[in-house]
Amino acid sequence: MNNSKILSGANLSKQYGELEVVKGVSISVAAGEFICLVGKSGCGKTTLLSLLSGLEHPTKGKVFLDGKEITGASEDDLALFRRENVGFIFQSFNLIPTLSAWENVALPLFPVKMTGEERKRRATELLEQMELGHRMEHRPSALSGGEKQRVAIARALINKPKIIFADEPTGNLDSATGDAIMDILNRLHTEEGVAILMVTHEAELAKTADRLIRMHDGEVIS
Amino acid sequence: MNAGYLIRELYYQKRRTLTAILGLSIGIALLVILNALSLAYRQAAHAPLKEIGADITVQRPGDVPKELAGAVFPCSAVTIRKEEVEKIRSLPGIKGMGKAVLLWVFDSKQAWIVLGIEQSNTIGPAILRSAVAEGKFLEEGKSEALLEAAYARQFGIRVGDTVSVNGSPFPVVGLLDASRAAKIAVANLYLSLADAEGLAASSPNLQSVSPFAPGDVNLLFIKADQEKITDLAASLKGILGKKATVATPDSFLKLLGSLFALSDKFTLAASLIAIIVAILIAFKTMAGNIAERAREIGVLKAVGWTNRNVVVQLLSEAVIQCFLAGLLGLLIALVVTFGLSFMKVNIPIPWDMAPNPHFLPGGGDQLYKTLRLPVHIPWTLASFAVLLSIVIGGLTGGLLGRHVAKIKPSEVLRHE
Repeated sequence: MNNSKILSGANLSKQYGELEVVKGVSISVAAGEFICLVGKSGCGKTTLLSLLSGLEHPTKGKVFLDGKEITGASEDDLALFRRENVGFIFQSFNLIPTLSAWENVALPLFPVKMTGEERKRRATELLEQMELGHRMEHRPSALSGGEKQRVAIARALINKPKIIFADEPTGNLDSATGDAIMDILNRLHTEEGVAILMVTHEAELAKTADRLIRMHDGEVIS
Repeated sequence: MNAGYLIRELYYQKRRTLTAILGLSIGIALLVILNALSLAYRQAAHAPLKEIGADITVQRPGDVPKELAGAVFPCSAVTIRKEEVEKIRSLPGIKGMGKAVLLWVFDSKQAWIVLGIEQSNTIGPAILRSAVAEGKFLEEGKSEALLEAAYARQFGIRVGDTVSVNGSPFPVVGLLDASRAAKIAVANLYLSLADAEGLAASSPNLQSVSPFAPGDVNLLFIKADQEKITDLAASLKGILGKKATVATPDSFLKLLGSLFALSDKFTLAASLIAIIVAILIAFKTMAGNIAERAREIGVLKAVGWTNRNVVVQLLSEAVIQCFLAGLLGLLIALVVTFGLSFMKVNIPIPWDMAPNPHFLPGGGDQLYKTLRLPVHIPWTLASFAVLLSIVIGGLTGGLLGRHVAKIKPSEVLRHE
């Protein structure tokens, strides 16, 4: 980990009607840092993650990635920003049911101009890293929960992101499989130097992180 | 657009794909069948005239002499003067013309229906050359006769015999098979136009009610520009009087009485309904499909697909589905029209175009031209149907794609 800031959010707020879900949160992530965002269900963790990853526009405040402000960017610019800089891992995997494992991994590259062979080569490489080389042509319905999440992690890595946003990545998995997924994330952080911002409500999982941020009622409390 | 993604989406989501394709294909099939049927009725209506190589027949009704003796004109076809013929010939839209003289000749022993024809003119009754069953057809410049075969059998007349018509002898050179002949402009004795004109001109009985001079006729067969037939029909009535009988494909169409035949407006309205139904089915099915995929679209956008990427993908899926629906619709229409092509239609021949004297036994019977409904799908209609399917796909895919591309990934991915 180096100390250069890769992502920062300044005084971020998000309001839905009368309800303020995130209240003036400031946060920064250094390159290669592993941060866990913990708190009770409904405290605003996922919303903060959406604001920082460009999935959602903040009501107030600014988000900077690599020193560039992305707060006022258009939907399409944000999509391109996510394609080039960000990886996502979701609790329920969110794989496309009609595509094979390698095609799901290559999904972010479909709109990118490159040959099919190159896409497949990169996806294969990542699936092999996830020890899923033998499941390349299987569709999600034929994969176990742990395998699905490993495919999702490979998908998050296909664009060589600067930061991965993981929203409860072990939430739908049993504890053994969850531990295996956490091992992969830790390896990515320590060996590949990828920054990770992970949302979880399991305090045990958060112990492996470089830094822990606690949220309560939309505010960072520690 | 990613072709692999598109193919897998259509292949693995069979229920969605088949519902969309089947729904739209029924609308497209309906559109093609309706138009093919309408076209078939139009072609069927043209058949009685086409058989004599014409688009329009013209005759003028008049009086019959009190005494039916010698050569007379039927009351449905009296003299059309030479000057009137020339005036008609110069009308815009006329591509060619055939002339004939139809006579009833009452001799002491038998009655003849005589038709004087231009032997070499392909417009008019001379087209019946192909119906000669025995002997030969009438030769130009010769005074000879051709007999209808059944009539000849009834009276024991053979090729090589000589028949006497109103006192004039004519050698019989051939027999004509009436079953292969047309239903209009038929007779039991065919002569050259000049001979028939001679019979008419020399008949005092005929001259007393309908003055006739050489060069005059009482039947005209006109080949015309298809687009000008309606205008021509009006002009012909202008020259020959409002009572003139001007038969056109449209006048036969009216006699058919089918909804498909009766009105262009019906076909147009039914086609429009079919198109609207097709569009609604496509739109509803695809809207349902896309709503089911909101989460998937949220994922695409989260991982970096722009609105345009999403729209192009959905548009391509819609276009391919609708294209396949167009092909299936066409296939359904082909099967249905093949079945319909075995249907027979009876086209009534108006009494005033039937040559038989109505007062003779069987003369008053309604004549019909019976034929198989010539249902087929012209390539222009087929191409239009497929093109329309693609356009429907483009419109629905584009509209729905634009709508769905506005989905915010955070909204659809939030509720895990």
